[in-house]
Parts: sequence; C-alpha cells; structure tokens
Amino acid sequence: MPRRERGTALNRAIDVRDTTGLAAALEAVLFTLNRPVTILELQDILQSPLPDVEAAAAALAEGLAGRGLFLQRHQDQLQLVTDPAQADVVRRVLRPEYPSRLSPAAYETLAIIAYRQPLTRARIEEIRGVNCEAVLESLEEKGLIEETGRLEAPGSPRLFGTTMKFLQILGLSSLEELPPAPQSGSTSS
Amino acid sequence: MTSQVTTELERDPLYVVRSAAFEGPIELLLTLAQRAEVDLKTIAIASLTDDYLRAIDQERPPLDRLAAFLVIGARLVQLKAAGLMPDALGAEAEEDLAAWEEAIKGRLEEYKRFKELADSLMRRHASGRFTFAGLLEPEVIPQARVQVSLDALASAFQQVLDRLPPADQVTFEMEHVSLADKLDHLRQMLAHQPQLNFSAIFHHARTRLEAVVIFLALLELIRIGEARVAQPSAFAEITVHAQERKGDGIESRD
Repeated sequence: MPRRERGTALNRAIDVRDTTGLAAALEAVLFTLNRPVTILELQDILQSPLPDVEAAAAALAEGLAGRGLFLQRHQDQLQLVTDPAQADVVRRVLRPEYPSRLSPAAYETLAIIAYRQPLTRARIEEIRGVNCEAVLESLEEKGLIEETGRLEAPGSPRLFGTTMKFLQILGLSSLEELPPAPQSGSTSS
Repeated sequence: MTSQVTTELERDPLYVVRSAAFEGPIELLLTLAQRAEVDLKTIAIASLTDDYLRAIDQERPPLDRLAAFLVIGARLVQLKAAGLMPDALGAEAEEDLAAWEEAIKGRLEEYKRFKELADSLMRRHASGRFTFAGLLEPEVIPQARVQVSLDALASAFQQVLDRLPPADQVTFEMEHVSLADKLDHLRQMLAHQPQLNFSAIFHHARTRLEAVVIFLALLELIRIGEARVAQPSAFAEITVHAQERKGDGIESRD
C-alpha cells in the first residue's frame, strides 16, 4: 500500500512538471506567433491532447498574474498580450489604431452580440427595435465582430460573434469576465 | 435618447416621414412610438404608406429595404391598433392583448438591460485599460539586405540619365572628361564620406558623357574592390560604400 501511494505521488509530480513545461512551451509559441491561436492548432503545435493544452493554458494564465503580459482567451483562441494594467506605458511607446470611442448604438449592439452570440442581425434588430445594418457593418470593419457561421434556416442568415479585438479594447481576459449576463428575454416567441 | 437614435440613422434612413404630427425617419417614428413618446393616433398610417408607395414608384429601393419598411410598417400598424382598441375588446381578445403587452414589456426590459450593459462596456472601454499584441507580425519582419544585381544598378543609372537636362538645352562644346579624373574624384568622395547614395555621386555631372564616365569609374572601383553597392531594402535607394580593396563588390552575373 505505501508503495502504491508513493507511485501516485510520483506520477502527480511528473504531471505537474509536464504542465509547467507545456505552459512554458505554450508561452514561447504564443509569443512568437503573436496572433490569436486556436486550441486545436496548439494541440498540433505542442503535440499534446486537449486536456493537457487546457491545463497548460490555465497554468500559464496563473503564472502571468502580476506580470506585464496577460493571457487572453476568446472562445477557442488564445493570445499573449500586454496586461491591461500596463496600458498607459504601452500607449506611450505605441500609437495603436484602436477605436477610441464608439457610438452608443455600437456599444448597445456589441453588448447584445457579446451576451447572445452567435446570433443573426434579425435577432439583434428585434432587441434594439431598429435597423442595425450600418452599425454591424462598422463594427465588423473595426474588427470587433465577425461572421461566425450561418444559421441553418431559410436564407441561411449570417451569425455574428465578437472577436479577440473586442476583448482587447475592454482589457478582458475572456468573455466570462463580462458583467453577469441578463436573463434571456421573456419574449422567446 | 432621441438624439442617439437620430445619429445612428443619419446615414441612410429607410424612409423619411413627412406628416403634420411627425417629421423624420420612419425608424425613429417606430422607436418613439414604442416608447410612447409619439402618439400614433395622430398619425395616419394609411397616408404614410400611400406616400411611400408613390415614392417607390419613382425610384425602386433594393429588396432588403422594401422588406425592412414592411416590418416597420407592420409594427406601426400593430402598435396603433393596440392603442385604438382596448375598450372595445372581448375577454378573449383582452387576454391576447395582455399577453401581447407582456411580450412588449419583456422586450423593452430586455432592451433596457442591454442598454445598461452597453453603458458598462462603454465605461470599460473609456477607461483605456486595453491589452496590446506585440508590434511585429512574423510576415512583416524585414529582410536584412537585398543583393543588388547589375541590372538594378543599370536601371538606377538610367534614372540618373533621365534626370539630366534634355538634349536641346545642352550647348555644344568640346568635353574633356577623363576616366582617371573621375576615378580620383570618386575616391575622394568615398574617402570623405564612406557611404553615399547612388544618385549623390552624379550630383556634379553636367552632361550625359560626364555621367557615363562617372558610372564607368564606379564600375571600375567595384571591379578592383575599392567600393561596393548595397540596397538596404527592396525599392530603397542604392548606396555606395567605400571598401578595403579585397574581393568583389558586386556579384558577377556571367
């Protein structure tokens, strides 16, 4: 019995070391690619199964706490970016072309998409009660939303979702960090 | 609230309503009617649609805009009907109406919640706590150096020739341009300034012949290894560098 316990303890030690190593490899890959990388791609790059990549991502995010870099996750994409707390100093060295201010209509539309994604333009317009074509076009142009697929319905309307850049302008680590979502509307007719 | 709806619509309203009680985009009319800020009883929807039909007879809008008008028009009719009828309804219809009102209320509440969330997104965005990706993308890391071919050198020389005054301005005189003089001059320039722009070595050339001889002198210096040419990046100006005499300054293309 004690022998077996030692064995599991040893296994766990190895697992921990592997995760740390994999987290370091993940950090290196995200640094060099310098773009959003999907979990699927990472499984291939790191030659590791999904749970290991997920564990490595969690370990990396934890290890970066309080440091200058920040692990951002949008759906199944990961990207290494600067910490929101360092925004001022980074802004001093870059003049980033970030949209500085959006119209109230744009924030409204973004909020609806962020909480209800993926969804169609018709659904957004149902909630806002106005035509949203122009707003959607401008948000898409700014790279804050994108087409994530098509709804399987007559006319296969486009489905919209937010992007990594959406997280970047809000300094969020993931969509889960958004304020609590509103209850689904009671009008689900 | 009204002003923000208008700014969004400024671009391209679906249809501009012109009636005694309301003037403005039809989208705005619907929004205000939904918020009970406009009394639909004062607006004749039939004459509104008649006007619209007349307008589209003159210029046919794309199908999606026609459809959008239909949706808004239907909502207006629905809202107006609801406003006109409540007293004259039977129990069953009243129930329907109650359900419908409930639905509208739910929709408005949902909208209000998103409005609040939109405000919190706006505050967060305005705080400027952005995150930034690294500056260089892998595909834009510049190439270190571009090898200059003899062809590139020749075409750069052609550009120098093209900049010289046109032939009709050249006065005829006997020219005494010797290669030896130009070699000496080029050597002096490079001794003075070990890196020169290709065009700079022709600054003093007044005639085509002189430029040709300077170019020959440059080729000679490259051949004997006293100078070499480089191009810092694609399409950049070629530079001439002084060099200790050793090896070739230019790749032989033979």
